[in-house]
Order: sequence, then C-alpha cells, then structure tokens
Amino acid sequence: MSDNLRRYALWQMRDFGRDRAIALLIIGLALGFTFVSPVKMMQVQITETSAKQLIMVSLQQIVYICAFVALNGIVSNDRKQGYYRFLFSKPVSIPAYYAQQFVIYFVGFMIVMAALLGLFAFLVYPLSPVAPLTYCAIVYLSLGGIAFFISSLFRFDWPILAGVFLGSALLHTIWQFSDGWRKLVIAALPPLNKFSSMLGTLLDKGTVETNDLLWLLGYSLLFFLAGLFVLRRRPIA
Amino acid sequence: MIEFNSATKVYRSLLGRSVTAVEEFSLQVAEGEVLGIAGPNGAGKSTLISLLLGYLRPTGGSVTIEGRDPRSYVEKNGIGYLSELVTINPNWTAESALARFATLAAIPPADKRGRVEAVIAQLGLEEHRAKKVKALSKGNLQRLGLAQSLLRDEKVVILDEPTHGLDPVWTQKFRDIVDGLRRPGRTILIASHNLDELQRVADRVAIIDKGRLQRLVQTGYDQTAETAGTYRMAVVSGAEKMKEIFPAAVDIGGGEFDIPITNLAELNAAIAKAIAAGVMLASFVPSRSVLEQQFREAVGEKN
Repeated sequence: MSDNLRRYALWQMRDFGRDRAIALLIIGLALGFTFVSPVKMMQVQITETSAKQLIMVSLQQIVYICAFVALNGIVSNDRKQGYYRFLFSKPVSIPAYYAQQFVIYFVGFMIVMAALLGLFAFLVYPLSPVAPLTYCAIVYLSLGGIAFFISSLFRFDWPILAGVFLGSALLHTIWQFSDGWRKLVIAALPPLNKFSSMLGTLLDKGTVETNDLLWLLGYSLLFFLAGLFVLRRRPIA
Repeated sequence: MIEFNSATKVYRSLLGRSVTAVEEFSLQVAEGEVLGIAGPNGAGKSTLISLLLGYLRPTGGSVTIEGRDPRSYVEKNGIGYLSELVTINPNWTAESALARFATLAAIPPADKRGRVEAVIAQLGLEEHRAKKVKALSKGNLQRLGLAQSLLRDEKVVILDEPTHGLDPVWTQKFRDIVDGLRRPGRTILIASHNLDELQRVADRVAIIDKGRLQRLVQTGYDQTAETAGTYRMAVVSGAEKMKEIFPAAVDIGGGEFDIPITNLAELNAAIAKAIAAGVMLASFVPSRSVLEQQFREAVGEKN
C-alpha cells in the first residue's frame, strides 16, 4: 500500500460518513424501532433474556440490510459516475484503492452498528455489545467478498447482489434437505443459511461454530480475491 | 515516449456485435512534443486516450509509455489528465476535490497546501473554492478539471477538449497555460475539435477518423510547409489591379479577393507583386488554416 493511498483513507472515511453512514443509521433506527416499540408499549419488564431475544430478532434483519446498503456500489459507483477518470490518472493501484475502501467501509459499518447497539443499551437494556458486534463483523465480512466481486464485474450491481443474496437464502431454505444436483447447487451458493444459528450461539455462549465461520469467511475471501483479480486484469472503463 | 504500434480496439457486445473504435493506429510521440489529436465525433479520440491511461486495453497491437504498459506507467508515475467530461463527485467542494487529488497524486503533505493554492490561483478559482462541485458553472467546472491535472509536475499531460465550455478570456489563458507547461522532458497530448486552438498550441496534429490515423500535420511553417489553398486578400486601394496581377482571383466584394495559391514561393511572389503594383494590402490570410484544409481533405466535407 503506497503512502498516498494510505493518506487518502481519511477521505474515503469521510465519503462513507456522508454517503452511507447516515443512511445506515436511519435504516437501523427505523427497523429497530419497529421491533422495540411493540415491546415497550406492552410495558413489560425487559430482562437480559428478553433483551437477547429482541436483539436476536432485530439484529438479523438490520445487519443484513445495513451490510447490503454499505457494500453495494463499492466499486461500480465510480465506474457508473465516471469518477474513476480523475482518481486513477494519479499514481495509484486500482485494486489497492478498492481493497482499502472495503476496509474503510468495514470500519465505518462497525462504528454505525456500535452506535445503534449503544442506543439499544441506553434505551432498552444494557446488554454487552461484544457478541452482537462480532456478529455484525461476521455478516459484513461474509457478504463483503461476494458484494465486492459482483461490484467489480457489473456496473448495476445492486439488483444482482440482491438476487444472489435473496436467491441463496431462498434456495437454502427450500432445498435444505434435498439430495443430488440440488444439494450441489446449494453447496456452491453463498452459505448465508449459517447466519441464523450463529447469532444465537454468540449471544448464549459467546462462541461460534469454527467450521461455519471458516466456511463463511473462506467463501467470501475467495470472491474478494477474485474481485481484486478482476480489477487488476479487466479495464475499468 | 509514447508509442502506439498498430493499436486496435474493438468493442464487442454480449450479442456478438462489434464496433471498431481504433484500428491499426501507429504513432510515436516524442518527449517535449505537444501533439494535437483532431477528428470528428466518434473518430476514436477518447478511446485512444483511454488506451493511454490504461482504462482500456487494446484488442490488437500495443500502446506503451516509456516502454511500459500504460497502466503500469500511470500507477508508478501518474499522468496529468483532464477528461472530456469533468466527472467529480458533486458533493465535494472545489477545494476539497483538489486536496483529495493532491493526496492521491502523492504530493508530499508539506507541499500539498501550497500546490492546491497555486492551481486555485492559476485557474482563477479563488471565489469558487468553497462551492460544491454541483454548484459550479460549466466553465468553472472545466477550470477545476484543468486545475487537478496541473497539481503535479507530470511528464505526460493529456487534455481532452480542454477549452470546452471556457469563455474567450479563459480560452486565451489556456494557451498561456499550455505554453507554460512546455518543457523538454514533458509530452503533452491535446484532443480537441477546435482546429484553430490546435494550430496555435500543438507541434503536430494527428487527424483521425473512423479509428484510423488519416494524416499527421506539422503545424509550424517552413520552406516546405504545405500552403496550397485559397487565401483571402483584403485591399484598401488598387483593387482594380488585382484581376490583372492575379487572373484567378475571385472578387467577393468589399475589397476582398479569394486567391488560389499552390506553394510558399508563389505566395510570397504574389504579395511582392501586388505591393509593387501599388496595391495597399490590409490583410492576407488563408481562407482556411492549413490544418483546417488538411482536416477537410482527410475526413471529408461531410464532417
């Protein structure tokens, strides 16, 4: 990573703050409100158990959508808008630029999630944010590689990304007990089905199934590397 | 410095259709040279520039800068580049855009402020520095684009339609800027529709059409310069003698005559003859510049 690119990280963080963080906060607050407000209205005493259940139900939705919003267009926006023209006439490597952007967006995403969980702790129940934040990190990193690859290939990445994520979730659900070619298909799809059990284990035991974690992150890493390869080999125009 | 060697770029769609944007294009551009690139819309100028920046790869032949693949050259050295479309995030301010580009251009932090201030002053952007890019007029946006291309002392500068949207004052200043950019080790490429502009600032002009190099025109005048064409002579007195001295002259009225000339010697002899005969000349100019003449011949009148 060159010095100029490292220094540019602050500008990328600023862009994340303006272009995405506010949207993520609004989405997180709006979705969070829909889950929390019915419980609050019932005026029942919220215990650690019920707070964990609330987090279980709400965080799965919020993190998934927020990660999607944070990641879509991570590469393709600059191509669509033509911003690449000036950016990459400077002495900077295109794959390195976007790899750094991926990391910066991860940091930004985690800050937003920490803020939302902080609000939850303040307004609902003071739950330790470590397990939920770990889950947020796993989701971002697991979806991130796939999103990065699709964004490096296609200008209009978000419909494809949405199709891949929703299609995977759907097929994993309906073919989970299938055999033959269906089993092979779902084995090749993004292993998003592994998220559902992961949050519960994290909240209850503070651990995750190592095999699941390695499978999720390995799958994502493979696509992330493929995305870098695309950016290196394929012209950006 | 820059070499196109039978460079070809064919765009292929998923349906199998193909469009050849650049075909068998060969040209060498030397260090210290200012090369103009002229051509009608869709001639392949922007594709050539994208090949030079490594934003596209040739489907045939090669493009090199200092013997290297363009992308590898740009990633190591950078290029001063102004694109035809000035595409900068509309939510950035003019000053922050320059500060960002200065950071990416690897200008040392200690010098960055000074360089940004220098280009802001050079391009007259002082009163617009705090404005968001989306609030800038077309001319000011063009100046911002030009400013970012001048941030660093690059060896290669590529300006695509640099005077597009500039008012006459800034068009004139642009010529001064290009004159200031000239130095022995620097190569400058300027793509423009404005032939008069290229005639003034470039050493040679590559005329391209349908993706091919049609002509390479030397813009300076010398003994061997191609001067064939029609010249317009305006006379204050002695108009009645013109037909006698120039039998082929066409009187277009108002004391002006169109005179066909074939070479430089004939041109000078004609002027001397007219003056000797007592004709008082007010002006004597090509009715079309040499470049314009060559351009029309190369790409046809339809363009």
